[in-house]
Amino acid sequence: MKKIVYFFIATLALASVAYAAESQIWGEMRIPNILGYGQEQSLKLGEFFTLWQGHYITTIFLGILILIPTVFGIHYLIIGPKTFSHEGKKILAFSLYSRIVHQIAAISFIVIVPTGFIMVFGSFFGGGEFVRICKDLHGVFTIPFAIVVIPMFLMWVKDMFIHLDDIKWLIIVGGYLSKVKNPVPAGRFNAGQKTWYWLATLGGIVMIATGATMFFMDFDIAMVKNITGLSQIDTLRAAAILHNLVGFAVVILFFVHIYMAVFAIKGAVQSIITGYMEEEEVKILHSSWYRKLKKQGKV
Amino acid sequence: MDYARMKFYCDEHRCIECDGCSVACAEAHELPVGISRRKVVTINEGIEGKEFSTSIACMHCTDAPCEQVCPVDCFYIREDGIVLHDKDKCIGCGYCLYACPFGAPQFPRDGAFGAKGAMDKCTMCAGGPLETNSKHERELYGQNRIAEGKVPVCAAMCSTKALLVGDAESIANIYRTRVSARGHGTVGVPYGWDKAYTK
Ligand code: SF4
Ligand code: SF4
Repeated sequence: MKKIVYFFIATLALASVAYAAESQIWGEMRIPNILGYGQEQSLKLGEFFTLWQGHYITTIFLGILILIPTVFGIHYLIIGPKTFSHEGKKILAFSLYSRIVHQIAAISFIVIVPTGFIMVFGSFFGGGEFVRICKDLHGVFTIPFAIVVIPMFLMWVKDMFIHLDDIKWLIIVGGYLSKVKNPVPAGRFNAGQKTWYWLATLGGIVMIATGATMFFMDFDIAMVKNITGLSQIDTLRAAAILHNLVGFAVVILFFVHIYMAVFAIKGAVQSIITGYMEEEEVKILHSSWYRKLKKQGKV
Repeated sequence: MDYARMKFYCDEHRCIECDGCSVACAEAHELPVGISRRKVVTINEGIEGKEFSTSIACMHCTDAPCEQVCPVDCFYIREDGIVLHDKDKCIGCGYCLYACPFGAPQFPRDGAFGAKGAMDKCTMCAGGPLETNSKHERELYGQNRIAEGKVPVCAAMCSTKALLVGDAESIANIYRTRVSARGHGTVGVPYGWDKAYTK
């Protein structure tokens, strides 16, 4: 506990030092910023940001928002959900610790993703107080996610490296294109879950870093400058561009994750709440893991 | 009716870096501490023959980049080219600053959790979308001198008449006259105009 308090104080102290320093945007730095804008040898981030944000970002997010649920709708109608017997035995898949960590991340995402969309479509909502509150929530709910992202990364990392099963899984798209319940090649996590894991943790860290950059805006941290080699204003532009690009991927896979857990596999969401998966579900959807558990005599 | 296109021009041969424009602006609009809508900068400092000072604020660009990126569409561009925004709509996201070639948009930190407040920038002394010359408009955006038929306060206060503001044609004429009167230098584009008004 003490450690956490110290860490907190140190962070606050660091942040205030960074703030107290001369403005990196409106002080003397404003001159090189203006001179650097659009220079041949520069990355032209200002122009690139204007073009992207001005013409494409909103449209792409709208496309994602319409297209992905449509695809799911069609899948649900044609192939339908997979249902597994809830009568059989159950297998403990997630420990209490991993469930709590996951739930904190889940709650954060449930707030962060919709509020992010509301900001992207801010003009549709007329801006003002409502969108401003969403912006604040978007930032506040990043804090719990930031706390659990590293524990989440560590608790599952050993099961997330690529395996031969994953390639087979990808070839048959996890068996989701057919109604038959054939055993699907996958260990404790399938290729889809692994992709989501890497994106949610590593991509999530990118989202936190770029989001914090935009939130704090006028700070002066030498380490950041040394890593990026960019001026503060260009760092902000790069952060905004990255936040949106990685954001595309995160929302797409977030939608997929929800569709799988809530709709495509009936009752799958229960496993992360109670910790138990239906034996039949493990047998079919995580056949390699099932075989391993069997060998170990755990089922 | 045809409106004139309003532009800023700062004559770098006349600017004596007195900071009068910046102070006049801050006082006239009662800006919060830490916000300066106008700033005097010295470019090429220490490089002989190339050093000059100029006064920079929002240039009220053609096809304003800030307007293009704002997620809540709070900018509106007047017929005379003045770029204004609605602070009641603004969510303080900072995007306009990233798009701006001049670093003009600024953010007082007054929101919840130390979040950025609504963006503030030069209005060319033309106020905002609220009722003209109302108390509310004055509090949020500063004076609306244009509505009163007055010149923006920075240009009015400039002792060397380096800083000018007016319709594009008159400004271009003054610029041309001044350059030829000096007898050297070519009539190119004034500093900053390439980024602000070329489109
Ligand atoms: S100078 Fe910046 S804030 Fe002003 S109109 Fe141009 S882009 Fe917008
Ligand atoms: S800070 Fe305000 S004015 Fe600037 S882009 Fe964001 S919402 Fe628009």
